Parts: sequence; C-alpha cells; structure tokens
Amino acid sequence: MSAADRGEQAPRGFLHGLNPLVTLAAPLPAMVGMVVVRDLATPALVAVAAIALILIGARPAPRVAAAIVIGIPVAVLVLGFSFSLWADPAALTASPAIVHIGDWRYTQAAALIGLATGLRVGALVSLALILGTSTTAATLVHAAIQHLRLPYRVGYTALAAFRFVPRFAVELELIRSAHRVRGMAEGRGPIAWLRRGLSAVIPLLAGAIRHAERVALAMDSRGFGASDTRTERTIVPYRRRDTVFVIVVLATTIVLFAVGGAIPF
Amino acid sequence: MRGAFPSIPAAGNHQVQPPHPDHAPPTAADHARADVLLDLDAVSITHDGATRATPSSVSATVRRGEVVLLLGASGSGKSTLALALNGLIPQALPARLDGRVLVSGIDTATRSVPQLSRSVSMVFQDPDAQIVTATVLDEVCFGPENLGLPVETVLSRAESALRAVGLWDRREENPDRLSGGGRQRLAIACALALDAPLMVLDEPTANLDPVGITEVYRALREVVADGRHAVVLVEHNLDEVVDLVTRVIVLGTNGSVLHDGPVRDVLAGRAEELLTEGVWLPVSTLAALRLRAAGAAIDPLPLTVGELTAALDRLDELPELPRPAPPSTPPSAADRPGPDDRPGPDDRPLLRVTGLTVRRRVRRRERTLLHDVSLDVHRGDVLAIVGTNGAGKSTLLRAMAGVAPPPPGTVQIGGDDVARLDPRRLARDIGFVFQNPEHQFIRATVADELAHGPLLRGVAEEEVARRVDAMLERFDLTALRDRHPFLLSGGQKRRLSVGTALISSPPILALDEPSFGQDRARAAELMAILDELNAEGTTIVLVSHDLQLVADHASHVAVLQEGRVVAQGRTDEILASTVLDEAGLRRPPLARAFSPLRHHEQWRSLSRLGQLP
Repeated sequence: MSAADRGEQAPRGFLHGLNPLVTLAAPLPAMVGMVVVRDLATPALVAVAAIALILIGARPAPRVAAAIVIGIPVAVLVLGFSFSLWADPAALTASPAIVHIGDWRYTQAAALIGLATGLRVGALVSLALILGTSTTAATLVHAAIQHLRLPYRVGYTALAAFRFVPRFAVELELIRSAHRVRGMAEGRGPIAWLRRGLSAVIPLLAGAIRHAERVALAMDSRGFGASDTRTERTIVPYRRRDTVFVIVVLATTIVLFAVGGAIPF
Repeated sequence: MRGAFPSIPAAGNHQVQPPHPDHAPPTAADHARADVLLDLDAVSITHDGATRATPSSVSATVRRGEVVLLLGASGSGKSTLALALNGLIPQALPARLDGRVLVSGIDTATRSVPQLSRSVSMVFQDPDAQIVTATVLDEVCFGPENLGLPVETVLSRAESALRAVGLWDRREENPDRLSGGGRQRLAIACALALDAPLMVLDEPTANLDPVGITEVYRALREVVADGRHAVVLVEHNLDEVVDLVTRVIVLGTNGSVLHDGPVRDVLAGRAEELLTEGVWLPVSTLAALRLRAAGAAIDPLPLTVGELTAALDRLDELPELPRPAPPSTPPSAADRPGPDDRPGPDDRPLLRVTGLTVRRRVRRRERTLLHDVSLDVHRGDVLAIVGTNGAGKSTLLRAMAGVAPPPPGTVQIGGDDVARLDPRRLARDIGFVFQNPEHQFIRATVADELAHGPLLRGVAEEEVARRVDAMLERFDLTALRDRHPFLLSGGQKRRLSVGTALISSPPILALDEPSFGQDRARAAELMAILDELNAEGTTIVLVSHDLQLVADHASHVAVLQEGRVVAQGRTDEILASTVLDEAGLRRPPLARAFSPLRHHEQWRSLSRLGQLP
C-alpha cells in the first residue's frame, strides 16, 4: 500500500501529475535494456538516473527516500557479492585472484560479474519504483480503464480484492496462533513446516471465500455492473506533458546506453 | 430458480396485476400506489436443501415515511426476507422465491440486482465487507458512479449523504481508520447516496460496540427525519430502535406473518404472545413483564429505558427484591480483600496477571497495547473483559491464555508461569476458544478434532475415546462425528470449538468475543453452556462488547481503556458506577433504566433480569 492508500498526505512532485500509464511505459525500454546489457557502467548510470528522477519528481517521504538512496546501493552490493560466489570458477581461471582460501579463489572476474548482475537488478528495481512512488493502485486502474479500455468490472474487482490483502494477513496470524495453541507447532523441519502451512490454508480460504461473497453482494447492491459504462469521477488525463515525459525518458535512455557503452567497464 | 413466477394466481384476495406494472401506462391506481415503496405478495422463500419455506406466504406493503422493524423468532427467515427485497434472493443466493416482491412497483424478478439499486439500497451486518475503495469520499461515490450519473450529481449526493451521517469532515480518510460505528455509518451514507426511496438494513449493529450502536442509530434517525424514505430494519438491539420505528412486522416460527401493526400495539399489546413465540422484546419490556408477574401494576408496558424508569417511579411501591443469591464462590471471593492482604493459600487467585505490558510494532511504529496490567481471577469467577474497540481486550486475553506468549513472570496460572509452559501443558491449564471457530480446526472429522488434543498429550486411546464420546454427547454432535468440521453449521462449529477446549478438562476457559457476529439465539445457546460449565466449577474469562450479556452472565468485570485497566470488581458494582461511561462504553439497558430512579433507592444498582423479583 502506498502512503496515499492509507489516507496519509502524500508528498507530491511532478511525477504525480503525470498519467501513471506513461510512468509505467516510459521506463520499459530501459528495463528491457537491463536484461541485455552486461557491463557495469550502463546499469549504474540508469540506476542513478532513475533514483534521481524519483527523488526530484516524486518527492517521496524522507523515510522512503532514505530507504531508496541507502537501500538500493546496499542491496546491489549484497546481491553482487552473492552472485559472484555463484559465478562459474572454471570459466574464470585466467582472472587474477583477490582472495585465496585453500584451493578456492575469489577472482576479480567473478566479483565483476556479480557486481554487474547486482547493478542490473538494482537498476530494474529503481526503474519500477518510478511508477511505484508516484501513483496509487487506484489511479493506475482508473487510467487503464480510461485509456486502455480495461473493462471497469475487472479493474474495480481488482481494487476491491486489493483491500483483502491486509485483512488476510491479520487472519493468517490469528489462524497460526490458533493452530499453535492446538498443538500444530509439533515437529521441526520442512515437512512439519509444510503441514502447518497447508493446515492454515483451508480456514484462510474458507474465510476468504465467505468474505469475497459478502463483498460481491454489497457491490451488486450498490449498482456495480448496472450498465456497461460507469461514471469516472477521477479523470486521469493524457496531456502534452505526458508525451514530453516519454520522449525525454526515451532520449535519456538512449544517451545513457550510449555513454555506458563508451565507458570501458 | 425463479421458475415459480408468475404461475401463482393463487393469493385470492389480491388482484391479478399486469406482469410488468412499471412498463404499463400509468393508471389512477398506479398514482394512488405511488407511495407504496414495497409490496410483498405471498412471498415464500425456500433455501436450497430446505424442506419448508421461511418466510412463508408473507404479504405486506410499506409506504414512504414508514420505518418497519422486521422481527421474528430464530429461523423465521427475517434476514432471508431482507435479502429478497433487492433481488439478491433468488438472483445471487441459492434459494427459491415464490410470490412477488415489488419495489417502487418494479418486480424484482424482472431486473438485475444492480439495476434494482436505484429503487432499494441495502446496509449489511459486516461493515468490513461493504468497503471497496480507499477513501471515504470514493466509497460514497461508488454507488452513484455505478449508476452512470453525471459527476456533479455524484459529488452533491456524496456530500449530502456524508453530512447526514457526520462523516463529511473525514472524507479524505481511509475507511479503515474509522471505528466500527464509523464504518457502518459510512455504509449508511453509501446507501443514501444511491437515492433509492427504500432502505433495507440487515442487523446493522450486530458487530458494533455500544457506542458504535448509538452512533449508527443517531445517523439513521437523521435519515428517516425527512420522511422521504421507507426503511425496513432487521435488528435485535430493540431498546435502541423502538422510538425510531413506526411499525413492526413479526414473523412466527413457521415463517408466516404473526402480527403487523404500530410498534406499541404489537410489542406492548402482544408482549406475552411474542415471548412464548421466541421473539425478542426490548429488555425494558421484559423487565416490566417480570415485575408485572410479581404483582407490580405496570400499565402500559414500557418499550424503552426511559419509559421503564418513568413507569417504576410512578409506582409508590415495588415488589420486594429477592435477597441476593448466595454467591456460588466462597464468600471471601465475593468481597475479596486487596492482593496485599491475602489471607490463606486457598484464597490465592487461580490466574494472576502482574505488571503485564505488551508492545507491538504496528506500521513501523512501536505501540504499547497494554500498560502495566494487573488482574486476579479466582476459582469459580466469570470475568468479563470489556472496553471499546482497540482498548486491548483481545490482546490481554491472548496473553492470559498464553496464545500470544506474555513476558516471563507476568501471567501465572495456579502458580505456573504461562510464558514457560509449552502448548501441550498449557492446554491442560486453560482452554481457549477463538472468535472464529474455523480458525482452530485442524483435523478432518469432528471426532478427530476432539481427540487431537488428548492424543497429542499422550492420553491412552481408550480414555480418549471415552472422553470424545462424552463431549459429542454433551454438545449434541454425536450424529455428526464423522462430518468435516468446516461443513457444520455455525452453531455446531461454535459448540465443537468449545468442546475441543474443554476435552482436557482445563480449570479455566477463555473465550474471545463469543457472541460476535452471531444471531441472538445462537449467542444465548452458548451462554447457557457457559453458565452450566461455571456451575460445575469451570472458571471463565471472556471478552465481550455486549454489555447486557456481561451483566447477565459475568460475576466480575475488568474495564480496559487504551491498554490500561481503569476498573475491576464485581459486576454489580462496576455497572452501578459511572466507570463504563468514562471508558467510552454505555451501560446496558437495565442499568441505564434503574440508576436514574428517583424513588426506590435500593433498585438503583440493579442491572440484570435475574436480580428482579
């Protein structure tokens, strides 16, 4: 849930004024690019650009901003190191070793491969957060209904289902504690864990189905589905600035990939 | 499913109407009927798999300005009838509808439920299951938007609906942040915004605490004040609604109309008859009937708390009060001394909470749910923990029962530290019944479910089988022993959950909101079981928001407010004091009726029917 979904005052930057479909679409080419590139510079540049765009354009709350600025680099390093341990050492025998532990060598090449992978994941997450920090699920659904001809019955049902999630989290917690009291906690290991998980599924599903039925009855009773169209009170317009945003982001993407390609690592 | 229509020219005294009166050119009769917002013509509803129809052959009309209370014994089909008024039965729920339901002249069989929402709006029992969007304003706009109204109309309707229920200032907030009463008021605003002339409310306050109930009825009063709507209401908190209602329709146990008339004529005039039929009456009326039987000349019968107070004050003399029943617990437990001057080992509390503080991270913020709570429960007590939503009642109960392990040294049962007991041992000391019985079922048959606990603790199989049979017998589940627990009815599930907690014969039974979301009859059935267990010596701790239930069954009450115990003591004393009001609760009807008495001083501290002559 974003801050706005919780009814808190969301800080607003210019990204909030854009159609969420463009904040979804514009970073897509760069995201595809991240799957293809293998160097270090390009993903690093893209990640930095994306984070800068979020900080300037979405003006997230200090806590969120800190999580992005600190969290993403840390995650990149941790992921990068983990990936480097998985790199096939046989393919990298020529590379100079950084660390020797007995027979095992941690090579420079492995470290670089790991870091590159970590950077690509970090860049992907940063690109996705452009959408995530600048809009709410509701606005995205409104935009999709208005511009992508998403049937409103599908869109609003999805939004209603979205509200179930925190409810189910609470319910699952209750079921777990109930089962623990009944002595389901017995046993360790994956099989006991799986058994406990499965035994929680039945009551959770039974409750979920009942709740969904009630919500559906309430929605029907309030005219949901009375006709093929529905008043859209929140107009999510597509304006010239949306086109400008897409062009600027695409141009930036091309420049970053060009620059990144020119840098020799 | 609606095949039976219109094959019934039967109902002899009714004129055969054209099949689609709303399409026929208006006639003089139509104009005369313009104010008839609901017309039931021999309506019978048979649930899939049921052998008889409840309700059965109900005919009635409801006009603009009327507020109709639908009453009936358990199983008479009053909620079922409510669900048929906007077409949910038979369109969305598996049941057969015979006869005809006309809302604003439209046959519900000819339109879909969403289309009928222009003529009839609904408010359901569970406020959580009616919320779809992320802000209060969006929520109220949802209905009018579905009807395709222009944006200006949507907004103006939303504003007037939110103002009517007092939520306009909170329109930007997430509905989750409203209290239970607030969310139900929101549901009423959503119904209002549809601008349908008929509003149907199905047990709208069953899930609310007393303050929430008051809030909802204040909002509803606002709605009916202008006389533009007709309201049909199913409700069991009768004391709150009688002065709002203009007419009562009573369904008998067989599902047919027993009485239909002005509220006073039916409730006061037919009180004895309704009582024998198993129909709920206002608590004030029940009290007056009881006093009448004891010789007090109360006439006419009071229907509200205020009327009962006035009726008693008019009498010079009241029947003599019975001597207070000797407490079932040892006398020392009744006026027990403070914990510091405990006399002997026999008087030690069975369950003792000392300095319990519970903190939890909620949304990244550390919140203190319980502040330094201390509490004693003695053998044979029935302790009720009360408080508004969010006061920490369930948290306290779970810590007491070790369901959520408390910090070491804070909760002791019979001298054992709950925090250090493993679950198997704990189940022998205290049985816990969850609010939703389904949460605690883990086996595939009723018998296995009962056997699970003792087998886990290594009780011999023969002994387990003996206990299981005894429990099945006791809770009337013998015929269902091989049934899957999830396939039981609601009442059977509840009985099974109590059975699984009791099978290890724990000296204490803890129950979390045992009456929440249940109909009155089922709640009464459970409370009867608890009374019986208590009489046999089981100590009971329960959390409840129903203060009349607390007054009727609890020996002791602990009042929680914002995580602190603000009062604890004997039920009579707590109910006679103002501590409940100070904790944001409302005293139950009888306590409210007796405490302001000008005469009859010794009556002022009474709070339950059982104390009356």
